[in-house]
Amino acid sequence: MRIDPEVCIACEACIPYCPMEAISIKDDVAVIDQDECVDCAVCLKSGVCPVDCIIFEPAPWPRSLRTTFSDPRTEHKETRIAGRGTEEMKTNDVTGRFKRGWVGLGCEFGRPGIGTRFRDVDKVAQVLAKHGVIFEAKNPVTILMEDTKTGKLKEEVLNEKVLSAIIECMFPIEKFKEVISALREVAKEIDTVMSVECINRADPDGSYPLRKMLDEMGIPYYINGKQNVGLGRPLAEV
Amino acid sequence: MTHTLHRRGTAESLSEDFVMLMIPAMGINDEGHIPKIQEFLRIALRHNPKNIGSVEMGGMIDKPEEVIANARKIGHVVFDNEEALIATLKDLKEANLGLSVVVSGIFEKVDKCLEKAGLKHHTANFSLGIWGRTEKLPSDDILEVTTMCGHALISPNLVKEMVREIKAGTKTPEEAAKVLMPQCACGVFNPARAAKLLAAMASK
Repeated sequence: MRIDPEVCIACEACIPYCPMEAISIKDDVAVIDQDECVDCAVCLKSGVCPVDCIIFEPAPWPRSLRTTFSDPRTEHKETRIAGRGTEEMKTNDVTGRFKRGWVGLGCEFGRPGIGTRFRDVDKVAQVLAKHGVIFEAKNPVTILMEDTKTGKLKEEVLNEKVLSAIIECMFPIEKFKEVISALREVAKEIDTVMSVECINRADPDGSYPLRKMLDEMGIPYYINGKQNVGLGRPLAEV
Repeated sequence: MTHTLHRRGTAESLSEDFVMLMIPAMGINDEGHIPKIQEFLRIALRHNPKNIGSVEMGGMIDKPEEVIANARKIGHVVFDNEEALIATLKDLKEANLGLSVVVSGIFEKVDKCLEKAGLKHHTANFSLGIWGRTEKLPSDDILEVTTMCGHALISPNLVKEMVREIKAGTKTPEEAAKVLMPQCACGVFNPARAAKLLAAMASK
């Protein structure tokens, strides 16, 4: 994103709209810090500029990642999914992606509202890889990996900043304690925040084995969450 | 995509916050899915949602027919009460549209609603909260508003600006919530809940 200095009237209306606090006034015009800007286009699409001086020009690789990860109105060419992640458990009744006895793990870097460089994503992905997780093949972060066995991301993307990026992976529920302990440790080394989530298929009696495990391990979780209600067809065998 | 997970708030506030979405599974049941998503939105509209939206249009509760006409991939609706959620779930069960439906809200309350609608949960997504450099986060009351846009497109500074305007008397809480709502690109923002939260912040 950039601002046309010839048109800007320095009214400051756009400043509070930027989720990254990347807009400021310098020499009587608004300017966007290009290193901090994640090209989410919130400033532009809010329509707040009275003189239409906010400009978006598609960036070349790897800066182009900023838009595809930060603006959910754009689509990843590789996954045909808009935004940062995949269908994950939303369609689990049909895809059967998360079967009984397995746990899905999502680590959403930069959320809420802090943003992240891919170097922090890379750091955590490499730790998770060491514990044998299976990275979701259709996830846009997985596509940025040099090797899904190591979790290492391509070198040229590491300094790119995005509003958020999600690692999606899964593993047998028996490994939950090991994986979550490793995640807790590496979380101390990142320079941003990550919202952490776990996915679990209900047992036939309606209970979630993972919830029992969380309670036993004393791991806090929100009282609210997401549930697939099983209305998709054809139903998968999971 | 976890855009309806991680909504923060007290039990009382979250009791007025239920998000539903309908989505096809790409490559499995996505053929001819658009009319089904549109029908889902029409069904939900009968039960007075507080927001209705899609990735294509964002949230536009004032122009629902426009949202429905342009919905393509995922349909979203937001309710502020259990009765509306139950009624919509019952209608969806009856309509048997065949696409996946996800409900976000307090687990205990959603489960009761599912039971009353004759449905059972299939798979859950639990939020384990925010890890890492949490000292960088804005205050909890700001987060309760901003996390209603799961893509984090609502700036904390815009929330603060709206609180300032409410305090100054230049906007009502409802008007302030309407400024925030269109920043959320999917239509999962709950303007009714936001107005209450903003009013509470402005009264401090």
